[in-house]
Amino acid sequence: MSTAVAIEGVAKIFNEGSSDQVDALQGIDLHIEPGEFLSLIGPSGCGKSTLLRLIGDLLEPSGGKVTVADKPAHQARLDREYGMVFQQATLYEWRSVAKNVQLPLEVMGRSKTEREDRADAMLDLVGLSEFKSHYPWQLSGGMQQRVAIARALSFEPSILLMDEPFGALDEMTRERMQAEVLDIWSQTGTTIVFVTHSIPEAVFISTRVVVMSPRPGRIADVIDIDLPQPRDEDTRESDRFYEKLTEVREALRGVEGQ
Amino acid sequence: MTTAAARPPSALRIAARRYLPATLIFLGGIALWELIVIVFDIQGFLLPKPSRIASTFVEEFSVVVPAGWFTMKEAVGGFVIGAVAGVLIALTTARWTVVKDGLMPFAIAVNATPIIALAPIMNNWFGITNPMAKMAIVAVIVFFPVMINMVRGLTEIDTRQLELMRSYASTPRELLLKVRVPNALPYLFSALKVGTSLSVIAAIVSEYFGGSRDALGIYISQQAALFHFAEAWAAILVASFSGIIFYLIVTLIERAVMPWHSSIRNVAGT
Ligand SMILES: Nc1ncnc2c1ncn2[C@@H]1O[C@H](COP(=O)(O)OP(=O)(O)OP(=O)(O)O)[C@@H](O)[C@H]1O
Ligand SMILES: [Mg+2]
Repeated sequence: MSTAVAIEGVAKIFNEGSSDQVDALQGIDLHIEPGEFLSLIGPSGCGKSTLLRLIGDLLEPSGGKVTVADKPAHQARLDREYGMVFQQATLYEWRSVAKNVQLPLEVMGRSKTEREDRADAMLDLVGLSEFKSHYPWQLSGGMQQRVAIARALSFEPSILLMDEPFGALDEMTRERMQAEVLDIWSQTGTTIVFVTHSIPEAVFISTRVVVMSPRPGRIADVIDIDLPQPRDEDTRESDRFYEKLTEVREALRGVEGQ
Repeated sequence: MTTAAARPPSALRIAARRYLPATLIFLGGIALWELIVIVFDIQGFLLPKPSRIASTFVEEFSVVVPAGWFTMKEAVGGFVIGAVAGVLIALTTARWTVVKDGLMPFAIAVNATPIIALAPIMNNWFGITNPMAKMAIVAVIVFFPVMINMVRGLTEIDTRQLELMRSYASTPRELLLKVRVPNALPYLFSALKVGTSLSVIAAIVSEYFGGSRDALGIYISQQAALFHFAEAWAAILVASFSGIIFYLIVTLIERAVMPWHSSIRNVAGT
């Protein structure tokens, strides 16, 4: 795979031609290398979720080309190249934790033993082995989100798309989950595209931050986060971290002030 | 340290605490009824005493219980036909959306009409003593809420749950079996539970328009016409009990089918 995601001249217009037309995205160009951890940040309504859905072929672009894992986005979806995680865990409440994690594998027709082995391994990875026969409502928000991550990783997709995955969590849980996802990222080598509203989160977690501006959504700035890996609590207290924080904050202030 | 207070309460005590208020209210209500009839000297043909109804029930046992059995067979038979048809039609609407768009407005309109008014017509169609006449009414009355709720359950699904299945490149069939149907179960069971009492009401009321002499509705209307109100009330007692048992059976099936659902977990958690 030479590029994980290539977005070329992409535009997205909702309800084109009608009175409630929305120009959600315009002239988006973005190349994401395999193994990158890329964050999208920008004011509400600037099209971050829309961009993620275009990558996932959950929406079709109004113009331009989306390539995922060197294939058209549609083919990449059929080949299950990516896993998706939303802000809400979106677990199926009628399925136990283990069965939720197994769902994509069921759809892919994997054998029962393989499904169970994968689910065990994934729940181990997110530290929820003991809860595998619980139902979603018996778990806290943070635990549910871990299950959602385990489910998205269960079929070993090459790309993970995460839309504000920690947006509903408290600050402490959030920081712990950031460390966990970084861990998973370095262990699995998965390319991650991550939407967030939190500047410290974007800076701590990513190798590159894309700052977007609204109406219509465009890429305003791309900031490399060349902080050393692996990142830990010391990273958050380093001077470089503060410099990057300031850089992203100023880029954002530029687009909000428009 | 294990003290008496820390010991978990026994199952018996938990059951007692849960059911005690309802039991007390029930017994209190019966006692109050008895008292009011005595104190105000209410005539037996207006409102018999509960003790009188109970003794009549025992005397008439060999008549009212078989009559209840007869009527419940109509109610349950019609319920099953209506529910199965409702579910099947709902499933076809999930497959072909044209069916849904064409059918739902009519279904909702028909559901709002008093279908029971068709009872005399069904008696003509099937023959007045044919239990199918009653079953047909019950089936039609149960069909509409079941179908409407099932369609809602199959279609009112969180967008993200659908997007996830799409991201797994699932087939429509898998989406139906793994997401739409489980999502519809709570909707279905709430319709079925309403359907149990609707079906008993429909069976009895359609018997009021005539039918086999062994049926509860006929028995009630005849005894009432003869001013035998204790007998009528004894039959009403049978109808209530049968209806409650029917409801409980459906509730038990619901628990077995969807132990994960919130309506059940709250009970299990206490
Ligand atoms: N299905 C849709 N139909 C019509 N308009 C839509 C649809 N989805 C998104 N939009 C519009 O597109 C624009 C971008 O929405 P999007 O959800 O991508 O923003 P976002 O950056 O993710 O915002 P937030 O940070 O609040 O999640 C918004 O103006 C939104 O109203
Ligand atoms: Mg969004």
